[in-house]
Amino acid sequence: MPAGRRGPAAQSARRPPPLLPLLLLCVLGAPRAGSGAHTAVISPQDPTLLIGSSLQATCSVHGDPPGATAEGLYWTLNGRRLPPELSRVLNTSTLALALANLNGSRQQSGDNLVCHARDGSILAGSCLYVGLPPEKPFNISCWSKNMKDLTCRWTPGAHGETFLHTNYSLKYKLRWYGQDNTCEEYHTVGPHSCHIPKDLALFTPYEIWVEATNRLGSARSDVLTLDILDVVTTDPPPDVHVSRVRGLEDQLSVRWVSPPALKDFLFQAKYQIRYRVEDSVDWKVVDDVSNQTSCRLAGLKPGTVYFVQVRCNPFGIYGSKKAGIWSEWSHPTAASTPRSERPGPGGGACEPRGGEPSSGPVRRELKQFLGWLKKHAYCSNLSFRLYDQWRAWMQKSHKTRNQDEGILPSGRRGTARGPAR
Amino acid sequence: MSRREGSLEAPQADSSVSLLPPLEAKIRQTHSLAHFLTKYAEQLLQEYVQLQGDPFGLPSFSPPRLPVAGLSAPAPSHAGLPVHERLRLDAAALDALPPLLEAVRRRQAELNPRAPRLLRRLEDAARQARALGAAVEAVLAALGAANRGPRAEPPAAAAAASAASGVFPAKVLGLRVCGLYREWLSRTEGDLGQLLPGGPA
Repeated sequence: MPAGRRGPAAQSARRPPPLLPLLLLCVLGAPRAGSGAHTAVISPQDPTLLIGSSLQATCSVHGDPPGATAEGLYWTLNGRRLPPELSRVLNTSTLALALANLNGSRQQSGDNLVCHARDGSILAGSCLYVGLPPEKPFNISCWSKNMKDLTCRWTPGAHGETFLHTNYSLKYKLRWYGQDNTCEEYHTVGPHSCHIPKDLALFTPYEIWVEATNRLGSARSDVLTLDILDVVTTDPPPDVHVSRVRGLEDQLSVRWVSPPALKDFLFQAKYQIRYRVEDSVDWKVVDDVSNQTSCRLAGLKPGTVYFVQVRCNPFGIYGSKKAGIWSEWSHPTAASTPRSERPGPGGGACEPRGGEPSSGPVRRELKQFLGWLKKHAYCSNLSFRLYDQWRAWMQKSHKTRNQDEGILPSGRRGTARGPAR
Repeated sequence: MSRREGSLEAPQADSSVSLLPPLEAKIRQTHSLAHFLTKYAEQLLQEYVQLQGDPFGLPSFSPPRLPVAGLSAPAPSHAGLPVHERLRLDAAALDALPPLLEAVRRRQAELNPRAPRLLRRLEDAARQARALGAAVEAVLAALGAANRGPRAEPPAAAAAASAASGVFPAKVLGLRVCGLYREWLSRTEGDLGQLLPGGPA
């Protein structure tokens, strides 16, 4: 049994006759005088029916001269002739049709049921609407861009297949007062979405729901309650710059700007970086960036082009305790690590510019070692910055040694040709 | 451009008018527009029949050619009329089409609400018919053969009537209007082509 309330269309298929004068427009089925031609009327006109139900229809011929016969008439449905055993002559001018176990309508404008004369000419037509009432929409999710608007998306019940045109209407109201409002800008981010562009209040909850209506009934979703501040997202961080770190062939420095629209509110914002090698589809994600606007990727392959993207989560805005919604990723920014003779490590993670340890395995162990040294060996000056300086010095001295030993041709200092052997 | 015999005022001299270069350019431009819109009308018709469902798209489909208020198909005698008279009839038909196309669009918005391309094509067709009609009238005026009588009012009742009739008749009516649109565009293209020295470019 389909869910939802039954509409009035399911109970009665009759419509009141058109009231406008028919002199200006000849409607198919209206009698013509004195021409010897026949027309007909199909009843019911444009009925709406449940899938699996039956239909009894009639085609009544009238014309000049009177006494037009129903013999020889036949039916087609969507252009296909119906078997004669489905029809019977009720009287001299009326042919009846019985259809059982109807399938869902083939097109939303209605299935075309046509009554034909013996010679195939069309006498009358009626459109059948066979389908299901809508089921309850569900899975409503909403987000606000920069606290200025609200966009919501939902899933239609029964995956939307009612075989009838079903209208979805997003409604919203302030929780404790105010009237129902109806969203007006539909299909903004997909077929089941709506955008409310303005006049939204902050610090107060809204109730949001979706109503689905078609010729066979209506259904309403559960109500979603939210505060705009709990579903804020923002534009991706602009001005993402990726550059080399002097002297280090396995690192890249990433800098970006807070999204301008929320720049003054993003005290607790989170950022996430992802990067991949140029000819790979696998992204590596770094998500312990906190609210910095710069980061250093370490443990990269030397001489390799990387694509980098950044996104922002404005969580905690105006004190909201909710998780926040990640922005889209910024446009990819490309940069390459310097070339090196030595094979580089496979990959790494982000280092904040302050030089704090990161989460790569080698560096993690080094962090632990440095921590132990500071405790037990009184090496208070040890830090990752010192380590990086040492690495840069090592690489420079390695190149110089190779050149002195004749491995690198003179005049081409800094160009690696491969291992020393 | 070669000069031809005949006079602009002589209604019998269909293809032998002498055209000034700006006028010829205007006629060529209007003829090109009609040619382009004829192709567009063909696409509109194809999209329309597809969305109404069979039998509308079947080759054997032959609905009654219902009379449409304020507009009829080009008569068989149309081709035998003087070119100015033909163009006047073309302009009158193009003037009658926009409200009919708009009525079809409104009905299709109810029947096929998820067919934005069809609805947009119908809206564009009304606008294009208006534009081409104005261009044809400008050509007639330049030829000194513009309509001098009062302009007939568009048949507003036809639009309302189509909204009140059953769905199947409304589909048939829409098919008729789209068909008339294509016929009159094609006729206008042909009639303008006869004005051009040497035929269409």
